[in-house]
Amino acid sequence: MTASFLDRENTVAPPEFNRFLVPPAALAVHLCIGQAYAFSTFNLPLTKLIGISASAPGDWDLKQVGWIFSIAIVFLGSSAAVFGRWVERVGPRRSMFASALCFGGGFLVSAVGIHLHQLWIIYLGYGVLGGCGLGIGYISPVSTLIKWFPDRPGMATGMAIMGFGGGALIAAPLSVLLMAHFKTATSNGVLETFVTMGVIYFMFMMIGVYAVRVPAPDWKPAGWTAPARPKQLVTSANVAVDMAWRTPQFWLLWVVLCMNVTAGIGVLGQASPMIQEIFTGRVTPAAAAGFVGLISLFNMIGRFFWASTSDYIGRRNTYMIFFLLGILLYSTVPTLGHLGSIPLFVAAFCIILSMYGGGFATIPAYLRDMFGTYQVGAIHGRLLTAWSVAGVLGPVLVNYIRQFQIDSGVAKAQAYSITMYIMCGLLLIGFLCNFAMRAVNEKYFYRGSTQS
Amino acid sequence: MKGRLAVLWLLVGIPLLWGVMKTLQNAMKLFQ
Repeated sequence: MTASFLDRENTVAPPEFNRFLVPPAALAVHLCIGQAYAFSTFNLPLTKLIGISASAPGDWDLKQVGWIFSIAIVFLGSSAAVFGRWVERVGPRRSMFASALCFGGGFLVSAVGIHLHQLWIIYLGYGVLGGCGLGIGYISPVSTLIKWFPDRPGMATGMAIMGFGGGALIAAPLSVLLMAHFKTATSNGVLETFVTMGVIYFMFMMIGVYAVRVPAPDWKPAGWTAPARPKQLVTSANVAVDMAWRTPQFWLLWVVLCMNVTAGIGVLGQASPMIQEIFTGRVTPAAAAGFVGLISLFNMIGRFFWASTSDYIGRRNTYMIFFLLGILLYSTVPTLGHLGSIPLFVAAFCIILSMYGGGFATIPAYLRDMFGTYQVGAIHGRLLTAWSVAGVLGPVLVNYIRQFQIDSGVAKAQAYSITMYIMCGLLLIGFLCNFAMRAVNEKYFYRGSTQS
Repeated sequence: MKGRLAVLWLLVGIPLLWGVMKTLQNAMKLFQ
């Protein structure tokens, strides 16, 4: 492979190119990096590397292992923010390649850490290197897809970001299968699984690297013309990334994303113990795992459904639905728990998690509406720092409030009620920020050429 | 171009459908 193959100039599509080849290229990357959501399948096996069937003296504990995922999420947000402008400059192919190297390499470095039983190497491998792969890979195809689908930006980015949700659905059973396959009397198979997954993911992401193309600068979909009078809150101008984060709109969107993600991620992380404790004796651990899988499926479906819907009803209205319906559902959950209705409880969380995924998938198109297409990928990268904050805030809120309630003598089944009402409060803040959204002031518009 | 389109969508679609199928199989335990 020559260096020029990765250059943006060599990825410009010929006139007869079918734009529907680009979403699977983006999916090839997102389906891999979405593995991050299923990293918890490795948590217990990583605590039994010495003891194999049970933890032995010298084995790591769950708290230490839990940091691997947290570091990866922090580096996801920071690398997306730091490398966003580089991704815009070099184009999707080189950035997807860098992401494949980091993400696949992260697994291989971690395998070395497992072999030497050095946790800091895994923090560095999956956490830092893999986290950078996550961040760069997440934003790589976003601006390219928006440029290919100016008529359906929500649907296009929804398709790619749906892959991030779908990646967990593949990775969870794949990890279990591989660990069972490689398990021997002297190894629980995690090391071999890490090496295999690193290689598989690198190769699969290379499909995206080869397939991705950018449109020619003057390209438009056949028969499509930009509307003469853009809708309210949809700009035809552009705002550069360094100017965008100085606008109030950027910070309003930052809070909107942060509140939406905080509410969802806290529940997602605690879903299994939560349903078992609320319906004590009625939900087995296996059924609770089924519940986690089901809400993960709705997290994926919501990404495509809500982002596509936003093309018709508008981004602001879509988030209004997320926040208002979210408040209604979260405030109903304690009652559903008291009533003992498992199907209604499950249905409520399926809708909640669909809106959590929908929030992620609709935000790139919202950014495009507010700031134009010029550096939307880089702006998206900076906005993803909201995810890093929410990734810490959500689980901390749910875990600590639950523990505080239990310590104060509240029954486990009722310990989540206050948390649900706090989630309603967070969603209300998000609603108000979304309600306050107005078009970006002209003084922030970029006046130079957007072709370079 | 159409053949390439089909191959690419199959490459990403098959693992995704496998993951969805496995997830639904597990989710069934919730209602058993």
